[in-house]
Amino acid sequence: MRNKFDEQLERLNVELIKMGALCSEAISKAVKALLDRDTEMIEKAKEADEEIDRKEREIEGMCMRLLLQQQPVARDLRVISSALKMISDMERIGDQASDIAEIAKYIISENTNSETHIKDMAKEAIQMVTDSIDSFVHKDLTMAQKVIDYDDIVDRYFDRIKTELIALIAKDNTKGEYYIDLLMIAKYLERIGDHATNIAEWVKYSIAGEH
Amino acid sequence: MSKKIFKGIFLVSFLTLVACLALIMGVLYQYFGDELQTELRNEASFVAQGVEASGEDYFADMPASKARVTWIDASGDVLFDSVADETTMENHSDRQEFIDAKELGVGEATRYSGTLAEKTVYYAMRLSDGTVIRVSTTQSTVWSLLVSMLQPIMIVLAVSIVLSGILASKMAKHIVKPINAIDLDQPDLDHAYEEISPLLLKITRQNQTIQHQMDELSRQRHEFSVITENMNEGLVVIDNMTDVLSYNSAAQRLLGGKITEDAKSVFALNRSETFRRAVDKALSGQHAEELLKTGSMVCRVIANPVRTDGTVTGAVLIVFDVTQAEENEAIRREFTSNVSHELKTPLTSIFGISEMLKNGIVKPEDVKKFGKDINDETGRLITLVNDIIRLSQLDENKFADEKQPVDLYETAKSVIKQLQNYAGDNKVSLELFGEHCKVNGIPTVLDEMVYNLCDNAIKYNKENGSVRISVEETDDAIVLTVKDTGIGIPKEDLNRVFERFYRVDKSHSKKIGGTGLGLSIVKHAAACHDASLQIDSRVDEGTTISVAFPKLK
Repeated sequence: MRNKFDEQLERLNVELIKMGALCSEAISKAVKALLDRDTEMIEKAKEADEEIDRKEREIEGMCMRLLLQQQPVARDLRVISSALKMISDMERIGDQASDIAEIAKYIISENTNSETHIKDMAKEAIQMVTDSIDSFVHKDLTMAQKVIDYDDIVDRYFDRIKTELIALIAKDNTKGEYYIDLLMIAKYLERIGDHATNIAEWVKYSIAGEH
Repeated sequence: MSKKIFKGIFLVSFLTLVACLALIMGVLYQYFGDELQTELRNEASFVAQGVEASGEDYFADMPASKARVTWIDASGDVLFDSVADETTMENHSDRQEFIDAKELGVGEATRYSGTLAEKTVYYAMRLSDGTVIRVSTTQSTVWSLLVSMLQPIMIVLAVSIVLSGILASKMAKHIVKPINAIDLDQPDLDHAYEEISPLLLKITRQNQTIQHQMDELSRQRHEFSVITENMNEGLVVIDNMTDVLSYNSAAQRLLGGKITEDAKSVFALNRSETFRRAVDKALSGQHAEELLKTGSMVCRVIANPVRTDGTVTGAVLIVFDVTQAEENEAIRREFTSNVSHELKTPLTSIFGISEMLKNGIVKPEDVKKFGKDINDETGRLITLVNDIIRLSQLDENKFADEKQPVDLYETAKSVIKQLQNYAGDNKVSLELFGEHCKVNGIPTVLDEMVYNLCDNAIKYNKENGSVRISVEETDDAIVLTVKDTGIGIPKEDLNRVFERFYRVDKSHSKKIGGTGLGLSIVKHAAACHDASLQIDSRVDEGTTISVAFPKLK
């Protein structure tokens, strides 16, 4: 019986890794669509989001079955409950990646790279997601903490881009809509950073039991 | 085992104790019964003598006795009784002991009381006058005795239980102790029970076999790990839960991640989309092959399922570094597409002109001009094909063994002679400096190299410009330098001008001509001679290319 339980926990772990990997891919693709003006990537980002949604339901089902059938306690319970929380954060990352791709579709003709720091911000957000998944894969507390601390940097990027966009709108108000779209994207990236932080916090909780 | 022994001993000793108790009690009871009977007999004969001697008076001063004495006359009526009133007593003629005594002289009988708690033993004796003296006494039966002795018996039983328990436990421990003391890894055959020595002998032999097999196994594992560690290809063996069972350092290097105690899944090594696809496909029982990009590297991942009894129990992944191969492949693809493009352009114009000529829509006075066009384009094609042939020859290093000392100065001189007219047409002056230096080389290749360098220097020069060619011997090399005063090459293109078909002017303009292979041939020719190339250029000022050949030994 225990053996079966361990096996199910292991499977849960692997599925979570896969879902995390999907998340970093979804956001990478969305950002690629935006920055490299790659229309093909828009569809791919959306497909990844759908896959993430499917994975979320699958993992949710796994967790529920584990909770009901095995009635885990202590560390096992922590692992499963944090998995439940983590997948909802991952799912949100997928949604936001898909939203970015959606906006990218309309502003793909514009040159996004040069005027603001959105490229740097996207790079940091992707790194945060990748690192949070890494901290989960390796059950690495220090890395999880690094991700949590890193959130400030992404937040600062958001403020900076906001200021930049205000200046740009003041200079050329004909492109107002485009700049507002960019602001939305920056906000999504900032949210993605927050979700990555949440994931890192759940990793910490599942390892050390602190939250 | 000690439990079983304990149970056995305990049961046996307890039963023995209980049986002893019962036996002793039975024997004692019998003994006391017999004693009683003898006593009764003695008493009866004593009373009989007394009555014979002194008649009824004997009873008057009869000594006190435990026994009840009854005197019965021949008809069975009681004449005297030491306990009850003889007048109230019934006739005794039907009593067994009386009947026996009358007939045989003596009679005995035992009768139980209503409750069976007591039994009365009678002894009767006929006197000479026909009367009968009967002596009787009561005795407790076994059952009443047992009931009355219940408490001491219980105590004895309890003591015997405790005693046998203690004894049994001690015995059991004592018996098992030497068995427990056996060291199974190295059993001491001399000090063990004789009965289990065959077992120990067998264990010893099996221990040796196991040890031998373990040694063999660890030797094989070591061998295996030495082999896999020295492989350039990554090797990963996983189970069906994606946990890594075995991997080598190359796998870790190529896939980028690391396996730790907490992260045993193969996805800790790499979790990219393509890698996951390969792993999932292999674990679903299919062969999978994927190209994986990790950072600057390109790896080919081959995943094969491992089957045990028809079900997939894991997978073996092999990872090759194909970065170089992929790069070469990309260059080759680019080359092919360039070649086809370069070949197509002149052919298209030849085709177009020839079609016009065929349909007769060309005015006779223009035929000559079109003929010249065809001629020019064909010339271009021939140059191009020659260049490609030359390049492929250089690629395959076909000239490797034809090297001979060549005077570079003479080569440059002959090239200048060939190009003099061309330079004149372009209003460019050619100058040669330096000394006669010999290098070990292939004359045709060297000629081609110098020709291409000078050709470029003229081609990309300005009106009234100059080309300076020098051949010098320095401390460690023989250097050929071609310096022009031409249009120069922009900095960002400097690294790429030696690539095949790379043109700074992307329009592939026909005005200048050239195939885009010239510098590529120079590069290959230099490589063929172990020479190093150096290029220095400024836009609008000119370009200097120098080739440093190793000195002749």
